[in-house]
Amino acid sequence: MVTLVTTFPILTVMTFLPLAGAAVILLLGDRMARWFALTTTLVVCAVSVPLYLGFDKSSSALQFVETVPWIRSWNVVYGMGVDGISLPFIFLSTVISVLCVGASWTAVQVRVREFYAALLVAETAMIGLFASTNLFLFYVFWEVMLVPVFLLIGVWGGPSRIYASIKFLLFTLAGSVLMLVGLIALLEATGTLDFETLAKTRLSSDLQAWLFVAFTAAFGVKVPMFPVHTWLPDAHTEAPTAGSVILAGILLKMGGYGLLRIALPILPDAVQLFAKPMLVLSAIAIVYGAYVTLAQTDVKRLIAYSSISHMGFVTLGIFTLNRSGVEGAILQMINHGIVTGALFLCVGMIYERTHTRDIAEYGGLSTLAPVYSTFLAIFCLAAAGFPGLNSFVGEFLIISGAFKTWLWLGVAAVWGVALGTTYMLWLYYRVVMGDARPQFQGLRLDLNAREVATLVPLALLALVIGFYPELVLGFLRASVGQLLTAAGSGVMAGPL
Amino acid sequence: MSDLVFLLPELVLAGTALVLILIARHVSRAQAVAVSVVVAAMAAIFSGWAFTPEAPEAPAAMTVVFGGTIAADGYARFFKVLFAATLALAALLSVKHVDTERVPPAEYYALLLLASTGMMLAASAADLLILYLGLELMILCAYVLVGITVNRPIANEAAIKYFLLGSFASALLLYGIALVYGVTGATDFAAIASAVSERNLTRHPFMLAGLALMAGGLAFKIAAVPFHAWAPDVYQGASAPVAAFLAAGSKAAGLAALVRVCLAAFAPEQRIWSEMLAGLAVLSMIVGSLLAISQTNMKRLLAYSSIAHVGYALLGLVTGTPDGASATITYAFIYSFMTLGAFGVVIALGERGEDLLAYRGLAATAPVTAALMFLFLLSLTGIPPTAGFVAKFAVILSAVRGGHVVLAVVAVMCSVVSAFFYLRVAVMMYMMEPQGAAPARVPGAVAAALAVAAFVTIVGGILPDTFTAWTVPPSLGKTPTEITRALTR
Repeated sequence: MVTLVTTFPILTVMTFLPLAGAAVILLLGDRMARWFALTTTLVVCAVSVPLYLGFDKSSSALQFVETVPWIRSWNVVYGMGVDGISLPFIFLSTVISVLCVGASWTAVQVRVREFYAALLVAETAMIGLFASTNLFLFYVFWEVMLVPVFLLIGVWGGPSRIYASIKFLLFTLAGSVLMLVGLIALLEATGTLDFETLAKTRLSSDLQAWLFVAFTAAFGVKVPMFPVHTWLPDAHTEAPTAGSVILAGILLKMGGYGLLRIALPILPDAVQLFAKPMLVLSAIAIVYGAYVTLAQTDVKRLIAYSSISHMGFVTLGIFTLNRSGVEGAILQMINHGIVTGALFLCVGMIYERTHTRDIAEYGGLSTLAPVYSTFLAIFCLAAAGFPGLNSFVGEFLIISGAFKTWLWLGVAAVWGVALGTTYMLWLYYRVVMGDARPQFQGLRLDLNAREVATLVPLALLALVIGFYPELVLGFLRASVGQLLTAAGSGVMAGPL
Repeated sequence: MSDLVFLLPELVLAGTALVLILIARHVSRAQAVAVSVVVAAMAAIFSGWAFTPEAPEAPAAMTVVFGGTIAADGYARFFKVLFAATLALAALLSVKHVDTERVPPAEYYALLLLASTGMMLAASAADLLILYLGLELMILCAYVLVGITVNRPIANEAAIKYFLLGSFASALLLYGIALVYGVTGATDFAAIASAVSERNLTRHPFMLAGLALMAGGLAFKIAAVPFHAWAPDVYQGASAPVAAFLAAGSKAAGLAALVRVCLAAFAPEQRIWSEMLAGLAVLSMIVGSLLAISQTNMKRLLAYSSIAHVGYALLGLVTGTPDGASATITYAFIYSFMTLGAFGVVIALGERGEDLLAYRGLAATAPVTAALMFLFLLSLTGIPPTAGFVAKFAVILSAVRGGHVVLAVVAVMCSVVSAFFYLRVAVMMYMMEPQGAAPARVPGAVAAALAVAAFVTIVGGILPDTFTAWTVPPSLGKTPTEITRALTR
């Protein structure tokens, strides 16, 4: 069994299967396209199973490694592999892809083939990015991801989709081209782009600082960190449901993953140098994002802004540079992918029926759509950090990490949690409670079986991780330990 | 006599062109296309066969033939193959245009062949006079090709503009050559380099003036800012296949000449021309990208894009190293195919292909054409895994390697600006409602050319090693380090 796992190029197959599926879908009819996309994404999930079963949790080394020489003139190899940090993201990518296909079943009615092809290309980019073991391949998938998401927003999005898609593209491209210069400078300085080799190389502090600026420009836009977050509300709001789910579920995580994979191990001195400003920006994102969220009147925009606040927790956790902070940040990225993805799915489902996203027009869904209201309750509570649900664990770890670093950070984070509870519960109150709106009386508002099947996996994940976070944390432990040794943890202590 | 082997590609092209002109009245369009493509393939095969491959890491002393005027090295071979490919693709792309605009086919294709001969000669020149002759042969044919549609006033206007400005630039080049000859007493590249280093002429005022004049003349050929003003008008006025041929071929020929002259003849002056070229590169990237934003005509947009791209290409040469030169010619190679592809889509769409607004909803009416255009646009923007990314990576790598990090940052920032105008076309094609009827069927020859361009754009991006073995820098009489060492001694 073990030999089979190590010789079968499981990661390559998982990465390029969706791409092959996309090519086939373009030749099919619209009806077939849906079923074929669903089959492809499910097969990818099935193929991924040995990855979790065969993974050695006690090791921080890369596993399931595949290496093939690629571009000899630049000393670039095609390298795939996973460690404890990338594995949960690959899991999330495969699951979210299946759910996106399900969520778009009836919502997408124009250019169906192209839609599913774009979705599958995005899946290839997501899995490939998290499985890359060198920076070149990472960058290639990072950029490839832009194209399908640009099309998803721009072709199948809302009224001002073109504006949103161009804004998204230019913001992320402006960040990522700086990463390209950083990547090239790194290649020039060290002669390699392999993550493991780079982590063992000690670069000069000056070079590290410049590289940190270049890479953080790319990652910060993707996360998005304050003050380069302004593309996010437009992109999330205008994107079709599946696009919002991919954006919130995976794309934002690429930034955090990049910080963990590149900034912390390869640029440890620069991380120490810049940790404090990054922590302050994270705290601003948490509190500012939460206040802006409170002021929103559009459901989708509200969830989009809440992402800024939630991703602020993630960067806060990463830059505390202690175990609970970093583990919490990774867990919180997974949680945010599950919960915010689910919330976007919920919004999409009700929007398909009511065609409005204005919170003021909603009310009393509890009597008209009890199943829907139940799911929404689970996810709103999860987003609010309710104990027993997944986000509680992540936020708790991050906040304890923050208090260890700097008292005021912990205070800002707790404040953010309080505000988060406020906006989520207030949203739930306005949408679900109260008297049923007369204009919704004749509509069949409650969920059908397909939609329930789309939400159940996410609800289960929220509950299971909430009660047994070890399920994710167990994978992380060894790799995070290794990461923090590389990043020289514990140097940051005491008040500023 | 055996020296003639090295000029076989040029001889075949020129001979065929002369024969085509002689029997012009009996040649149909189909025959002319077929002959051009076959002859281009023969030229490519001869180039590959006649030039013995050499180890790319150790460019030997320059192999020269014809009394030191023609270089027979891997660099010349690379460009001859590239120009043969450009010629073949341009010949295929021209079919529709020759039919609809009633261009005399034999003359048109003879001019294409002769222009390609000039390009090949310029790329293999080891002597300033041969270089000048090659470039003049190319550009004289280009003037006529631009104005060959007699009944289109805009084409005539473009041809006259091109001719007036081009003659001025050629005069600059020739004047520069004369000054260099006056100082060094040589037109031979190796002789110039050794004369300059032995007699310590690096700072001689006439030498510097000659260098500046030659740089100006060559910058016109590659349409680098501030010698770019002709390009938008000429590309717009010329018919699309001619514009494609100019954008790909004449630009690559100018770069080929520039790289060889800089490295082989003016190696001792490297610091001076590096700074000049850095200025040209920065200006070209910024001006080209910014002015492309407001264009509404596709050919003008591609003209400004070509100006920006020459700026990127120069980034490699700015470093003055053989590696940098390799990056520049890699860029020229990849750019030729992606710009031929983009122009190819313009040609495939016919008249409406020129108006930017006509691209609205193209993905719905002509999905394959739109997808190809999207591919070429992504490649022009430099998004992986297309060849355009590889090209951009190569030049930025060499810029960073040479310590020009600021240039690298300017380049990537300009590429973000360029993403805006390239992807605006994608926005129109994919995100807007279709206008008017579906475009007419694409002729088979044009489709074949598009397929080749798309193939190179994809394979070049995924497996860049397939052609890096070919992109060898020009061989030198002496390596720059040897010359510097001789200077300091």
